[in-house]
Amino acid sequence: MKTLLILVALVVLVAAFLVSQLNKLNRLNVGVDEAFAQIEVQLQRRSDLIPNLVETVKGYATHESDVLQKVVEARAAATNAQGLTAVAAADGSMSSALRGLLAVTENYPDLKASANFIALQEELSATENKVGFARQYYNDRVRQLNQALVTIPTSLFAGMAKVTKRDFYEVDSPEKRDVPKVSF
Amino acid sequence: MALDFHAQQSSNQRKTYALLLGMGFVTVGLIYAVGLWFGKGSSLLFPIAVVIAVAMVWGSYYNSDKLVLSMTGARIIDHDSAPQLFNLVHEITIAAGLPMPKIAIVEDSAPNAFATGRDPEHAVIAFTSGILQIMDREELQGVTAHELAHVANRDTLVMAVAATTAGAIAIISDMAIRMSWFTGGNRRDNNDNGNPIGAIVAIVAIVLAPIAALLLRSAISRKRESLADATAVAFTRNPTGLRRALESLAADTTVVQQKSNAVAHIWIESPLDDSSTSKLFATHPPIAERIALLKQMEGSGPTA
Repeated sequence: MKTLLILVALVVLVAAFLVSQLNKLNRLNVGVDEAFAQIEVQLQRRSDLIPNLVETVKGYATHESDVLQKVVEARAAATNAQGLTAVAAADGSMSSALRGLLAVTENYPDLKASANFIALQEELSATENKVGFARQYYNDRVRQLNQALVTIPTSLFAGMAKVTKRDFYEVDSPEKRDVPKVSF
Repeated sequence: MALDFHAQQSSNQRKTYALLLGMGFVTVGLIYAVGLWFGKGSSLLFPIAVVIAVAMVWGSYYNSDKLVLSMTGARIIDHDSAPQLFNLVHEITIAAGLPMPKIAIVEDSAPNAFATGRDPEHAVIAFTSGILQIMDREELQGVTAHELAHVANRDTLVMAVAATTAGAIAIISDMAIRMSWFTGGNRRDNNDNGNPIGAIVAIVAIVLAPIAALLLRSAISRKRESLADATAVAFTRNPTGLRRALESLAADTTVVQQKSNAVAHIWIESPLDDSSTSKLFATHPPIAERIALLKQMEGSGPTA
């Protein structure tokens, strides 16, 4: 009777440990998905600001149609992006298009002074920060998951939980890739 | 020297646990001393003291969001009434993975800020109108990150536990001292091995326990502040903003008008700690020390 009780207790303990490890891995894995959803929410918010921004800038900066065009194109591309790499790439080109647009606005003091633009600029830079923090949060979650997948004891249950390593969110903005070529 | 915020975070967490454990030891030691002094009749003292202390602290902990708002006269804002502040807070909640807290402004020309609430779902973070005037976006971001770090680290709960323990210790000690006025003679009758040295140790322990508890409580508060600084850097990955914010707080000489002890520990910079407050009883680490630590973090730290 006593041995049976001990055996049952042992089985329960092992089962509880197994469940807690599997749950931990699944929680981390879902955490990565949620973090990615947050990036998409913030990217969507940024996209939603574009039409208003384009209209406002158009009113003052009449000769900047190519810069505006780039932003509109980047927005269209971002709307169709699916999956981590595509979203990250679209995010990168949108970020650089916006930077280009904001750089151009420096030449239009009337635009910069307009109340509408000032409010828009705050929203835009805040959204840019939010996108940045959402990326950081996502990469932190990925790092946590990937760490759990290679450290004992969680690593022992990775196969059973069917959780695998995830990729980091890396924005390859064109500027970053265009390392100035130095020729001698 | 390079300093990593992850290491800072875990070191401060460890020290908090050690200090809370220290408070536990003080409580056990005190109960033992009281038992030694009064014999078995005093065993009821402990549950009574705990019940009183919990009753005193629990209500203010549970309703901390509403209480502090009404005590400081803060007014809640939304996105339309203060877009930049709202955005700043929203940005950090994304970095921290926290729900959006209530944001409040306290009409006070002294620059300061605080966070409270029993859990992240009931968090309030408040800024004085003074801090919003003197600080730029980067500095305010640092302050916001520090306050949301308190929310993420559940510091209202930690400080409530510390306050309850310190309160219980104070009540036990107080009751023991009062009891000794009336029943001081009982000891000699009940206690056969009346050991004079033991009795002296017991009295000293009973008198000193509340002071020890207060010291430990202040030390815990200081550790939570350092932890919030490190966590803030983990959120923003930008020690410069908080460092510059603390520098402008240090340079500022206006003092928060609400010099109430009850809410002193929740401000980012203590309204009470000054040169006359002993370093041991201070609720915040010296501001120069905090700035120095952040400067070290600026030199390093993993970035993502």
